[in-house]
Amino acid sequence: MQYIVDQLINGICQGAIYALMAIGYSVVAGITGMVTFTHGEVMMIGAFAAYYSFLLAGNNIFLGLLFYFGASWLLGVAVYKICYEKFLNSPRHISLICTVGFSMVVKNLAQICFGANRKPMLNIIDNRVFTLGPVTINLLQIVILTVVVVLAVLLSLYMSKTRGGIALRAVSQEKTAAYMVGINVKRTAMIGNCIGCGIGGVAGMLMAIYYQTCYATMGSMLSMKAFSSSILGGMTDTRLSALGGLCIGIIENFGISFSSASFRDAFAFCFLILVLIIRPQGFAVKKGARP
Amino acid sequence: MKNLKELSTKYRGYLLLVLLALLVAAPLLGFKNSTIRIFCRILMCCTLAGSLNIINGYSGQMSLGHAGFFCVGAYTAAILSTRFGVSFWLVLPLAGIFAAIVGMIVAIPTLRMKGIYLSIITLGASEVIRIIALNWQSLTGGSFGIKDIPRPAFFAFTFDSPLKFYYIFLALAIVFLFVSGRVIHSRIGRSWISIRENELAAKSLGIRTSSAKLVNFMYSAFWAGICGAVYAPYVQYIDSAVFSLDEGFNILSMVIIGGQGTLVGPVIGAVVVNGLTEVLRPIGEWRFVMYGVLIIAMMWVRPQGLAGASDSVLAGGRGWKMKKGKISSLMGGSK
Repeated sequence: MQYIVDQLINGICQGAIYALMAIGYSVVAGITGMVTFTHGEVMMIGAFAAYYSFLLAGNNIFLGLLFYFGASWLLGVAVYKICYEKFLNSPRHISLICTVGFSMVVKNLAQICFGANRKPMLNIIDNRVFTLGPVTINLLQIVILTVVVVLAVLLSLYMSKTRGGIALRAVSQEKTAAYMVGINVKRTAMIGNCIGCGIGGVAGMLMAIYYQTCYATMGSMLSMKAFSSSILGGMTDTRLSALGGLCIGIIENFGISFSSASFRDAFAFCFLILVLIIRPQGFAVKKGARP
Repeated sequence: MKNLKELSTKYRGYLLLVLLALLVAAPLLGFKNSTIRIFCRILMCCTLAGSLNIINGYSGQMSLGHAGFFCVGAYTAAILSTRFGVSFWLVLPLAGIFAAIVGMIVAIPTLRMKGIYLSIITLGASEVIRIIALNWQSLTGGSFGIKDIPRPAFFAFTFDSPLKFYYIFLALAIVFLFVSGRVIHSRIGRSWISIRENELAAKSLGIRTSSAKLVNFMYSAFWAGICGAVYAPYVQYIDSAVFSLDEGFNILSMVIIGGQGTLVGPVIGAVVVNGLTEVLRPIGEWRFVMYGVLIIAMMWVRPQGLAGASDSVLAGGRGWKMKKGKISSLMGGSK
């Protein structure tokens, strides 16, 4: 019993990070209408920005948050300019391949600049454990859950209440109509892409803190998790994507507790494939809600 | 230019013969073993990239997980020949068939999806296959891989040097190109192309698109499996690290750079990409950066690839615009 509760807590915590990645991913996919393979690299850059900010500026998680949000944002601008802007009207696979190329560039540049070794993340949150009945949870997990929930709430407020957010939603629903009512589609799509990338960068930093390590090739596995989570949620819906991320985190942790940890990544995909056989649209209610 | 084209179509048979003679004679000119290994890799990539092109180029699905089928073929061949001592010539079709079965398993859930869903499922399947190969200690040797895969032999003649393998790869590539050329122009091949051009129209003309796509996947996986079955005894040692996603993207980049939806495209792509890999070897790590830059540049300048036609659906040309309707031009064309 104790074991199951522990695994559930771990799963929820990991799932929360996946949820954040998936939110970022579905913001990008929903607003630009393109699919990105650079998301993992964005997260990796976020993690490295975190590493260097902790190294240079001390253990200030808020300063850090700002720093990697900025780094990922800048990368987002680059991704948009190189991979999307020219191809908004072209077949989707062209920009997809562009993002594959871009992710190769970023990954290998990172390997050259930061070195191929794993870097140990500084321990910025002291390891305190709280016990509440059968539930034990440590401070790190609380911090992660808080950051994820706060960011998700902020994003949903921005999307529903502000003028910029409404423009973003308009662009994601119908680009041509948004163009007609006077929205600068290209700039809005860029901002949407950058917001998605920024959220992805924060997720990458949380991942690095959670596993206490960051390395240049961490992106590919993370982006796979982000894909599967957001596909589970029907790709463009941020809330359902977050739910998908939580599911994948929990399934993974239960899966590895019954077998070996090396099958971690296989579980996520098998679950995804099983869900897609039964429900091709994922959790989304609307049929044909695919980008 | 036009004359050249006319000439080349008129004397196509002779040209092909000359090319074939050159290819057969090339390794006999006294290259070093390392050079011949590069030739072998290029020829292998011709088949691999060509088989990926069957999915990506002809039926217009976007598969990214070709390394997985390659992996299945290589491991099948390695396990059959080291554990059970099955002869290479029997292993070859068996590996292909097994890879085709895996391809079918991957294809069934993806049939109802298109575009990015299919890409990600295939990517995931490739990764799952690699993870299984890495962790199924008792069958695949786990991270130690499989050693001492026996060389193929034809009666007393053993294929034991890269030079001899060169001919196997050459034969494989020629057979693949010939068979694929035939298949593409057959009924099933035309239905693949019609799915690429417009799936709805294909359906309304009575083509059973899902079974056509299933066959498409299996056919492609079959050739990738055969490629793996030749690759395993060629290197004599395989482990799962070879079949990573990077290898899959590498194959993809050959198809893209060469030109999707043409038979000759992947061949050109294989030559260009592998040639560049060798030429750029002195710059070490930066090579992969160059790769990425090259892919992006290709997409900006010639999205249809070196050998593709500029008005194809794949390049965003006329066909694509007709499919999408005229309203998109309101957005301000990208070109």
